[in-house]
Amino acid sequence: MSQVELALFLESAVRLGIPLALAAMGETITERSGVINIGIEGSIIAGALGGSLGAIAFGGAGLGVAFGALTGLLVAFVFAVFAIGLGADQIITGTAVTIGGLGMTGALYQVVFGVNGMELSVPMLAPAAIPWLSDIPVIGSALFAQAPTAYFAYVMAPLAWYVLFKTAWGLELRATGEAPVAAEAAGVRVRAVRFSATLFGGAMAGIAGAHLALAHAGAFAENMSAGKGFIAIAVVALGRWNPIIVLFAALFFGGASALQFLLQALGFDLAYQIFLAFPYILTLAALAGWVGKSQAPAALALPWEPNR
Amino acid sequence: MSQPFVRLQGIKRRFGLIQALSGADLDLYSGEVHGVLGANGAGKSTLFNVLGGLVSPDSGGIEVEGSSVKLRSPRDAWARGIGLVHQHFTLVPALTVRDNLRLGVRGHSLTAAVAAAEAKMERTGLRVPLEANVSELGVGDRQRTEILKALLRDPQVLILDEPTAVLTPEEADGLFSVLKDLARDGRAVALVAHKLDEVLAVSDRLTVIRAGRSVMTAPRSQVSVRELVAEMIGDGIADEVAMGGQAGSSSDSVAVGTVQVPGGASAASPSTERGRMVVASLVGVYADRLKDVKLEVRAGEIRGIAGVEGNGQHDLALILSGRKSPSLGLANIPKEVAFIPQDRHAEGLVADFDLTENVALALSRMAEFGSRVMMPWGVLRGEAERIRAQFEVVAPSVETRAQLLSGGNQQRVIIGRELALKAPMLVAENPTRGLDVAATSYVHGELLKLASEGVAIVLISTDLNEVLRLADRVSVMTKGRMVEVSESQKTREGVGALMLGGGEASN
Amino acid sequence: MTLGVAAVLLMLGGYDPVQAAAAMLRGSVGSWNTFVSITLVRAVPLLFAGLAVALAFRAGVWNIGAEGQLYVGAVAGVWVALTFTDLPGPFLVTSALTASVVAGGAWALVPALMKLRLGIGEVITTILMNFVGIYLAAWMVHGPLQERRGVFPQTDRIVDAARLPELISGTRLHLGFALALVLAGMLAFVLQRTRFGFHLRAVGASPAAAVVAGRIDTNRVILLTFLASGAIAGLAGGVEVTGLTYALYEDLSDGWGYTAIAVALLGGLRPGGVIVTAIFFGALQAGAGAMQRDAGIPAAWVDVVEALVILAVLGLDRIRAARVGHHAGEEAL
Repeated sequence: MSQVELALFLESAVRLGIPLALAAMGETITERSGVINIGIEGSIIAGALGGSLGAIAFGGAGLGVAFGALTGLLVAFVFAVFAIGLGADQIITGTAVTIGGLGMTGALYQVVFGVNGMELSVPMLAPAAIPWLSDIPVIGSALFAQAPTAYFAYVMAPLAWYVLFKTAWGLELRATGEAPVAAEAAGVRVRAVRFSATLFGGAMAGIAGAHLALAHAGAFAENMSAGKGFIAIAVVALGRWNPIIVLFAALFFGGASALQFLLQALGFDLAYQIFLAFPYILTLAALAGWVGKSQAPAALALPWEPNR
Repeated sequence: MSQPFVRLQGIKRRFGLIQALSGADLDLYSGEVHGVLGANGAGKSTLFNVLGGLVSPDSGGIEVEGSSVKLRSPRDAWARGIGLVHQHFTLVPALTVRDNLRLGVRGHSLTAAVAAAEAKMERTGLRVPLEANVSELGVGDRQRTEILKALLRDPQVLILDEPTAVLTPEEADGLFSVLKDLARDGRAVALVAHKLDEVLAVSDRLTVIRAGRSVMTAPRSQVSVRELVAEMIGDGIADEVAMGGQAGSSSDSVAVGTVQVPGGASAASPSTERGRMVVASLVGVYADRLKDVKLEVRAGEIRGIAGVEGNGQHDLALILSGRKSPSLGLANIPKEVAFIPQDRHAEGLVADFDLTENVALALSRMAEFGSRVMMPWGVLRGEAERIRAQFEVVAPSVETRAQLLSGGNQQRVIIGRELALKAPMLVAENPTRGLDVAATSYVHGELLKLASEGVAIVLISTDLNEVLRLADRVSVMTKGRMVEVSESQKTREGVGALMLGGGEASN
Repeated sequence: MTLGVAAVLLMLGGYDPVQAAAAMLRGSVGSWNTFVSITLVRAVPLLFAGLAVALAFRAGVWNIGAEGQLYVGAVAGVWVALTFTDLPGPFLVTSALTASVVAGGAWALVPALMKLRLGIGEVITTILMNFVGIYLAAWMVHGPLQERRGVFPQTDRIVDAARLPELISGTRLHLGFALALVLAGMLAFVLQRTRFGFHLRAVGASPAAAVVAGRIDTNRVILLTFLASGAIAGLAGGVEVTGLTYALYEDLSDGWGYTAIAVALLGGLRPGGVIVTAIFFGALQAGAGAMQRDAGIPAAWVDVVEALVILAVLGLDRIRAARVGHHAGEEAL
């Protein structure tokens, strides 16, 4: 394997891993508060459409990303109203939000661009190479010649870790996810914490979606999220609910996905679909290898009602 | 006296079919310790939870410093200077003691909070390991952490619900002196405690609650124990039974000497039990919380196991009843063991199931109730009807869901069901906790009757009086080990010394 | 209310809601034949998958993996149907369906063991298994099982002997619908009348009480339930290929495994309720096709309606629960 091939592999590993990292980091915060939002798939696809429309409307990819974050947040808001406000089952609500998000974006897309989905021309989020760092051999271009959203993910991981483990707000968040009754008794506003953590998760998923549309594809396509929200939830478990490990877990999954390019380049003749399935199998194996039950927040997915 | 700091008036609150509070009043003045008395289930905890913002009243008024307030959450209560130390622990197990102490406290820096905690610990003698995870702590340390957590917030009113149940007498004394200091500093303190004498010793004023209503408030100096007990129990047991087994007095009142249980431990003298068949035995048994336990249970005896909570009794109960295998050692137990678990809600009943289904939960194991494949619902329903009638379960029908019943009635269902198993042994774990006087004496009577019929009974209880009154032989559990109590030690003081000799659980 | 929201959304999208509703009704219940040949036919896989999910959820097993189990069931069914063509009629189709049952169960075995042995939550593992199952089917139709000419991503059509007979002559409704109804009846019977069903419900309602009061082997119940759920979802795939499509396609399922979650929950996790909601969702999907065809409204709108229906039911349920009042409970808490 040549250095060029390796560099290409790493570059695509990071590129494929970044949207997962963004979404999974948001979901980590959400799950730490005791809420599992499988509706982030809906936030991602909404972020992809919102990001595209925003980029066109405001004539810039940067504002597009911000608009994508907002749409992702809006979708998470719907989830939060039902799952947290009304205490409805989180899995069902998440399923509904995913179905609705996929349908809504598909329908809106056709409303805006016609039934056949006339090709969108969207301002792209161009890679921005960081001087010096991107010149490091092999890993430099892989890590530091990516779209700006990638750098956002690099910064968010330690930041989210710090907030989660070193601040009063992070303590309240973790307490809420571990023992909501105890947190409430200590004066924590459990619903408010869960609400904001869920909205943050939605915004991050929206950014992930905007990244897909603006940095990868340069266009919106129906169902372009392709289950990335679901994978992000697996990545959260793989990353043991720790934002920094989650970043690496997302890159690991990206690497597993990128293996197809590498192996094909190396002359392995395996069916394309097997390569596609490979990251999922690897993730299952990795979960079996090193994630225990005790890692998950104790009150994950349990609805909570205050003041009986 | 001047205006009370907190005034509760005509508080009513209903849970499902149960009217927990039906017009409770409570005035708390700055500078005094106020003892709240009442049978278990009289409504004390609900009243305290209303004050702490955990439960909203259906009606009634709350005034703080003369102005009417609504306490919608513990946060609201804290903001008014009201701090509640719960009967049930409300710590986050996955976090350290330090994190738990500073949880929800804003505006303090971490180091300041720790320094404050250490200063408090020094002053009060309530020492806890700050860096340990709460999940690793014994119940005593957890209780101390709860109290510290409340003290750290410097409340104007401190309410404590059963704070001494898991403390040693020395620790309880330490706590009481802290409470008196607080009152001297001009704070108001309200207290519910397990032991009547403790409350009497520390309180300046007393309020008695019965059946959800405040029936008496008086300075400590102006009432006698006899009067208080009379008020707690009311016109008699009939009242409470009439209102549907609504929770009532625990064995505390037994300690006060108001209830006579038919029979009594003296009926079976130690000499007669020799030669009876050994029904179950444990040799060198180890489990998560058990160390080298040896035990022999004979037919027709009540084997009492006393001890401060959290010393391995639950593991012992699960192993003796065949619900769990020891990690090491030999457990010889009958194939079927009737079991009255401590936690009715989580382990004894399926809250969502109706009475018939809850009865079926155990009885469907018996050969006479159908094949291995089918559920004979007709027969089981009949059996549930029989249990409802015989054990006087107050429920509209056998189709009533278990969660709608009061604690006493839930316990009757469990006892009726387990007795129907006709097992050679019964394991009862704190079987009267949270039950009223009538229900308690009923349960005690059933246990004695069963023993006289030749059933081997293991009575595991944190209530020393209960164990001493009913048991033929008594052992004490401390830190997962079992010590048999000799005949000469079989007194309150003797067993108490053994219970505390090993200290409270630390693992 | 849902209809109102849907109408407003449609108007915002520039469509005529009345026209949309008319097309929707015409396409789902417009005539006997429409109802039977389109709505009921669409309902069949939702019915099987919905029963699979309902059964699992009743035991507290969060099987989100019906989609993947359905695909491997379809793969196994088609493989048997294409391979053992010498078998006489009833045997061949029975063998194909048996294979899909086994395959679906096997697919559920992986997350079941990961849950019971390693303590890894089944929500995550079943979702991952879905992707693996979908790609497995995709590989099959591009590779080992691709049709003879090797042009289209699909298998050859299965022989007549491997096909389920039609249920009502002259319609597309096949025997699979009757099988689903029978299965629903059986499940209702199992849940209410049998010891295993009682244990299953106890484990789902309170695992601790199931162990302590019922002395139930919860691991065994969870394992068996997981396998049964996977097997039924596998059958959904098997029935679809032997009853309707007669071949395996890459995108055989339109997310039925996920819609099944809604079907199961809105059906109150009861087999009888699942029948009703499956037919309702079948009608929605049938109507969506007509809406697109007749009124030019994208079928994606029906997903929006589906989501709104789920949310409306969830919301109403929660609001009703809040009205009934405070939780019943004990004073001591």
